[in-house]
Amino acid sequence: MTKEDKPAIETMGLTKRFGNFIAVNNLDLKVKKGEIYGLLGPNGAGKTTLIKMLCSILNPSDGSARVLGEQIPDGNIVSHIGYMPQETGVYMGLTVDQNLKFYGRVFNLDKNEIEKRKDELLKFVALEDWKHEMVENLSGGMKHRVSLACTLIHQPELLFLDEPTVGVDPELRVSFWDYFYQLRQKGVTILITTHYMDEARNCDRIGFMQHGNLIAEDAPLKLLEESGKDSLEDAFLVFSRRDENMVRG
Amino acid sequence: MKFYRVMAVSRRVFRDVANDKRSLAMLFLAPIFAMCVFGIAFSGDVEDVNVIIVNQDQGYTPPMGNTTYLSQTIISNLDTGVLNIQNMNNVDEARQKVTDGSASAVIIFPENFTQDAMMATKNPSSGTTAEIIIQGDDTITNIKNAILKTVSDAITDTMSEEGVNPALKITSEPIYGQDAEFIDFFVPGILAFVVYLLTTILTLITFVGERANGTLERVLASPVTEGEVVTGYAITFGTLGILQVALLLVIAIAVFNIIVVGNVLLAFLAVAILAVTCQALGILLSSLAKRPEQAIQFFPFVVLPAFLLSGVFWPLQAIPEWLRPFSYLVPPTYAVEACRAVMLKGWGLEKIWPDLAALVLFALLFLGLAVWSLKRGKK
Repeated sequence: MTKEDKPAIETMGLTKRFGNFIAVNNLDLKVKKGEIYGLLGPNGAGKTTLIKMLCSILNPSDGSARVLGEQIPDGNIVSHIGYMPQETGVYMGLTVDQNLKFYGRVFNLDKNEIEKRKDELLKFVALEDWKHEMVENLSGGMKHRVSLACTLIHQPELLFLDEPTVGVDPELRVSFWDYFYQLRQKGVTILITTHYMDEARNCDRIGFMQHGNLIAEDAPLKLLEESGKDSLEDAFLVFSRRDENMVRG
Repeated sequence: MKFYRVMAVSRRVFRDVANDKRSLAMLFLAPIFAMCVFGIAFSGDVEDVNVIIVNQDQGYTPPMGNTTYLSQTIISNLDTGVLNIQNMNNVDEARQKVTDGSASAVIIFPENFTQDAMMATKNPSSGTTAEIIIQGDDTITNIKNAILKTVSDAITDTMSEEGVNPALKITSEPIYGQDAEFIDFFVPGILAFVVYLLTTILTLITFVGERANGTLERVLASPVTEGEVVTGYAITFGTLGILQVALLLVIAIAVFNIIVVGNVLLAFLAVAILAVTCQALGILLSSLAKRPEQAIQFFPFVVLPAFLLSGVFWPLQAIPEWLRPFSYLVPPTYAVEACRAVMLKGWGLEKIWPDLAALVLFALLFLGLAVWSLKRGKK
């Protein structure tokens, strides 16, 4: 297998415990390069914990994972990763412009590159008129847009997006997904968590997570077919009950 | 205004506090801690002041009598709880001890002391006065006053024992701190204290905010290392510490006309190192708080030890002896000592380097612990 064939993300028995609580349980996952993979599940399913381990923010308790071919945690791959946390992760005391400049510098972009990327991204997230506004004065949805722009500034080859479209209006959500498809065309891999089931259909594959386990994964249509349901919410419930029965059995 | 709605709000706030066990504990523990520390630290009189006695007194030998030494009687009546007495023969060597900081004063009994006292007793109209000369560090008014009082009390006790009341005077010849007032003693301490307080608290709240709004996570998911985060904060707060001190010094000189004898750049250096220590302490404490409201709970435990033990408001010698070693575990103590030595005594790097070295050690320790706390968060 060449480096190009290797999955962008591969986990082997990846586990994370917080005391007696198992947040991620013996997870095996493979995400191909250039794929948009959606992680769906209720709050507390372990999606964010999984992402944090893959970004080397948390250390696994057991198991292992490779991200872009490197065993994590690995400081060398972080410049190739873009991480958008659930809590926006932007500085409220800085302007939109200043946030982008900071994250650009952190990824070692020079002044000209930052200016170029800033203009592109502000247009993409529709915040050109707000670039000198303090982030704390923006709405929740706008803060998320700033956060997404900061995630993309260094043109990473692997994106971890934790609920990237929360608070974003439907029209803008469509344009975000157009952008995500464009990134996929360029070979960027995206692991995305979302609560919007209609968005989940846009993914190449979806993984359902519950209680730290991956209870099902496949292309959206195949999951619907297998569950015999018309909606991904209902499909999730089918797989969820199946998993609970297996555990009890 | 409706009573039931007011009570609903009040009940909610009570529940909020009660649900946070740490806040609840702090509500009652912090005042007890404050009371105890204040009470203990305030209760001390100045003690253990190092003084050197140079007794040149030749005594008085009456016709057909034995030589008496009034000076020895006074010396024996000095309160050794207040003064740690060392005897020397050479005034210049004794003065050097004060100049070096290992003693607070030299108490000199001139060679004619007893003779002058006897002359003054026998012939009060002669105008003769026996004199005790105190050459000391007058920069710390509490200590200066404690020495003066102790010597005065010893004189009074001696006169009472001997049944005489000669004209005696105590002459003060400061080696340091000519015309120094309490404000001159106070300002160097407050410079260090303000930097300590504001830097620690500001870093603590800022860092807790970083943890809460996800910016710390995002930054640690980037090429930035934990060490780089801590160092970046250190540079900022070190610089801000210097600017704060510069501003305070301008005001202190312009408004209060304080004494500044030495090179203030050394005071800035001490304060800058202290600021670096404090921001690291703030980062370390932030790992114990999930929200800014929880961070505020640390205020009493951060502020009070420095406030009471670092010599800002009273000299270390006024802190009870058993509590005094803890002063040396509080970083601001060294910055206060260094600032005071530079500003009031004109000491240079060759004399304040131990204080700076202690500050550097604290800074390295806390910086290391701050980085460790960030790495530990990954587990």
